[in-house]
This record gives sequence, C-alpha cells and structure tokens, in this order.
Amino acid sequence: MNRQQWESLVAVIRGETLRPLPTAFIIDSPWLPNWAGHTILDYFTDERLFLEDNLKAIRAFPRASFLPGFWSEYGMCTEPSAFGSVSVWEPNEFPFAKKVLRSPAEVDHLEKPNPRKEGLLPFVIKRLQHLQAEIEGAGHQIRFAVARGPLNIATFLMGTTEFLTAIKTDPERMHRLLEIATDYLVDWIAYQRECFPSIDGILLLDDIVGFVSRRDFETFGLPYLKRAFDTDVTVKFFHNDAPCKACAPLLPDAGINFLNFGVQHTLSDMRAWTGGKITLLGNLPPRDVLAAGTPADVERAVTDMLNAVLGHSRLIPSCGGGMPPGVASANIEAFIATVDAVTG
Amino acid sequence: MSDFRELRDAVARGDVVAAVAAARRDLEDGAPPLRIATEGISRAMTAVGRLFEEGDCYVPELLMSARATKEVFEILRPLLAQTGTKPLARVVLGTVRGDMHDIGKNLVGALLEGGGFEVIDLGVDVAPELFVAAVRERRPEILGLSALLTTTMTGMKATVEALRGAGVREEVKVMIGGAPVTQGYSQAIGADGYADNAASAVELARRLIGAERPQTAEG
Repeated sequence: MNRQQWESLVAVIRGETLRPLPTAFIIDSPWLPNWAGHTILDYFTDERLFLEDNLKAIRAFPRASFLPGFWSEYGMCTEPSAFGSVSVWEPNEFPFAKKVLRSPAEVDHLEKPNPRKEGLLPFVIKRLQHLQAEIEGAGHQIRFAVARGPLNIATFLMGTTEFLTAIKTDPERMHRLLEIATDYLVDWIAYQRECFPSIDGILLLDDIVGFVSRRDFETFGLPYLKRAFDTDVTVKFFHNDAPCKACAPLLPDAGINFLNFGVQHTLSDMRAWTGGKITLLGNLPPRDVLAAGTPADVERAVTDMLNAVLGHSRLIPSCGGGMPPGVASANIEAFIATVDAVTG
Repeated sequence: MSDFRELRDAVARGDVVAAVAAARRDLEDGAPPLRIATEGISRAMTAVGRLFEEGDCYVPELLMSARATKEVFEILRPLLAQTGTKPLARVVLGTVRGDMHDIGKNLVGALLEGGGFEVIDLGVDVAPELFVAAVRERRPEILGLSALLTTTMTGMKATVEALRGAGVREEVKVMIGGAPVTQGYSQAIGADGYADNAASAVELARRLIGAERPQTAEG
C-alpha cells in the first residue's frame, strides 16, 4: 500500500467517514497471476513475475487499495510447510498442504517450528527482501505481517473433519495443538515485523472459526486469536468468509479492528453483531457478481449494497472474501466507479 | 414398543455410547431393525440436518451425530441384511481431482447415510476415470461430486464428460456441491442437480431417486 492508501485505511478504522469511501480488495494467487496472464505456479516461483503482476494491478486500478499488498504467499502451504507438510503443486491450481498428523495422539510429538529456518517461511521473507527496494521505489511499503490463523493451521495439519471431531473427543490434545500453532504464529509474526519495520498491521486468515458454535469459539478460538493479535500494531485485520454469526460478537475481544467476511451476512447485521467496533471490508458476492456478472450487474449490486447499510462509517467496500479467479478489469472498474458515485 | 426417542436424542446430541445403548435396548425390546433405522436414526439426522441448515447446529456437533449414526448402523447393518432390507439408494461420493478438501463431502455422506442411503466414499483428489470405474463397478443410483476451490471445480465438468465418454452418463444421476459451485454451473456442465449445503443435498438425493421426504424428530 502507498502512504495515502494506508492513511485512508487507518482513518476509516479510527472512525472517520471519507468521501468517497476508499475501495479495497484482498488479492493473491487465486486471481492475480491469471489476470496478469501468468500461471499460478510461475507466479509462486518467479520473483520478477510476482513483482510485475502486483505492480500491474496497482497501476491498472490506482483508485483501489490492494490488501495486504505485495502478499508474499504460497497459498495454504506457507505455514503448514514448516511442520513438514508436503506441498502439492499443479501448474495453474491453488497449492495444497498434505496432512502431517494421522491421529490426535500424534500431537504429543509435534514440535513448534522455527519460522526463521523451516518450511517455505524463509522464502516468503527473502522474496520480499529481494524486491523491497523496487516495491518502495514504486511508492509502496510492506504494511502487514500475514499468516493463516491457529485453527486453520490445525486443520491443515490434521484435516478439517478430524480436527473438528477431535475438539469434542480429545479437547486437551486439541488445545495442545492450538497452543503450538499459536506459539509458532506469534514467532512468525514477530519475525516478519523484525524483517520489515514498516509493518504496522497483522492479517490473519481463518475460516475454521466460522464452523464452530459460540461456546467452542470461546474455548478453541478466542484465546488463541487474542494471543496471535496481541501485539502493538495499528491494524488488526481478520478474514473469515465462512458463516460467522456465532463468533462475530466476540471478534472485538480478540483485538480485531478490521474484518473481511463472506456473503452469508449483510453489512448491517455484521455491524450490529460486532457492536460497530470493527471496520468492515465487504461484501459484494465475489463469484456470483464480481466474477460472473457484467459491469452493469456489479454497478447495480454495489449500489444496492451501499444503500442497504445505514451510514458509511467504518466501512470499506470490497467483495466478501478475496478476489476470486476470473474477475475482469471492467468489473473492478465498475465497482470502484460505483463506490465513488454513491459515496462521493 | 419403543418410540425411539432416547435413540433420537442421543444421536442428536452426538452421544455415541448412549446411542448404541439405546439401539441395543430397542432391539432387545423387539423393535424391527428397519424401524430403528427409519424412525430413530433417519428422523434424528433429518432434524440435525435441518438445524445445521438453519445455523442452529455447527460442524463439530454434526460430525458427532454422524459418528453416533455410524456406530448404530454397524449394529443394524447385518440385521437389515438378514431381513433383505435395502437402502434407499447407493451413492458414490468423492472430492474431484486436485482438491484435497473433505469436510463438505463428509457432512453430505453422514447425512445421506443417516437418511437411509448407502454411501461409498471414494475420498479426495479423485480422478474422473476413478469415478467412471466406480459407476461401472458399484452401480450407484447417484454420483456426488464435491469441490471447495474454484480452481478445482473444473474437475466436476471433466468427470461429467468422462462419464459421457465412457457411455455411462445416463446410468447415474450426478449431483454436485461445494463453496464455489452454483446452480448455473450445475446446469452448464450437465449435472442433474446442485445443493448448497449438506442438508439440502439429502433432499436433492431423495428428489433425484423419487423418494419421499421422511418426518423429522418433531414430526
């Protein structure tokens, strides 16, 4: 993000209502490389393509902020890789991390990885360090430390079905697993901040918290998210595009002040559930409208979305989730123009 | 004669031990295995599925109910076989090629099994030719395809095309589901139906084979 975009984001989070509202999208490998004309695997493995594709998006849509900005990632494989998870790569598909725990009992032998040395994490850092001068030369800075959340990491290590069953059948071991994942996350975030002093925000992505009840979130989600976010940064950004009515009222207690959520809930409902304490990033249907619709569909849907929510404070228009594959430039331009027209 | 309330309550709260004990008591009291399956298990899982669909039941609770159902079926299955009772239909399920996600498929499988279907789970990352082989060898009435990613949902289209290419497309109903999937995509690839959640997948399966909807635990 450039300085002006960062300052706008912080201003909205502090409660200022800007006119027009800033527009922002989470962009990463599911959309960016294919939009720029490259395969996902080339994007992951070629630093130059990574830089060029990000710069191309920034220059194509100067009125939009892209979050977290120059996101150095390897899909879902980044954090699990340090635990020894095999990363599965296809030429133009999202990579996948294979499970490493075959039973809850294997948690007893799980060790916290070292983010400085293990898995893909040094590659994440090095890619940004190699490109840092050019990123900053383009007027942008690395603003966010980024990681998958503790429950998300736990499910990649042992499987979603297995983890969500084990919180009922073997809760003590699942707490142990979440403690290891969270200790590791805290180290990983600290290491990113150490490498890039410009970081003043944390983005955690964790859809699994949306699968559990409020009681289970209080037990297995909140304490760990709270610890992961417990650091002195301005923006504490959380992404969950699963249904999250049950956990939403507790998200401010985790320290979160910026939320990207899915299309299952309205902006008004989410604002009410979070007590107006969290800036909302959302939530146009990403696939059905932003990807599959025409520019006219996007204009209509964005207008309806903005008119349906009472007041535009603590709101940054976006889609409900990350930018999905296949979104055309014309639809992004229609989105930005509509936000400008409705809120300007 | 039991009204199966204890069994239904145990399944609904995911208490495996209590569900098995209740089923054994019902059998000792002379309840026919088919009635235990339909009036106990199926009604309980239909109710659980409805709560899940309405957001009043969460994934861990549903998984525990599914475990209870599975354990009770382990007891009932040989008894049902002795009486010549057949499941509503056979369903082959799998997550398509390139996709390792299993939670959606597992939830659908659990609710289908609880709803009286025989479920054959091919697992994750299933190639189109494996689905074709399963249709040829296991002769299911329904093939269920799951995908979580937009990058892998194209595996559904490839599977439907493989079924056509192998000449077995008309032998099986194809239903699809998963986060990126829509009704429009289902129609575009020539599937027979789409469900946007696990509970509605059971309804869809019943419609595809022309079966009637059972009563819920309350009904």
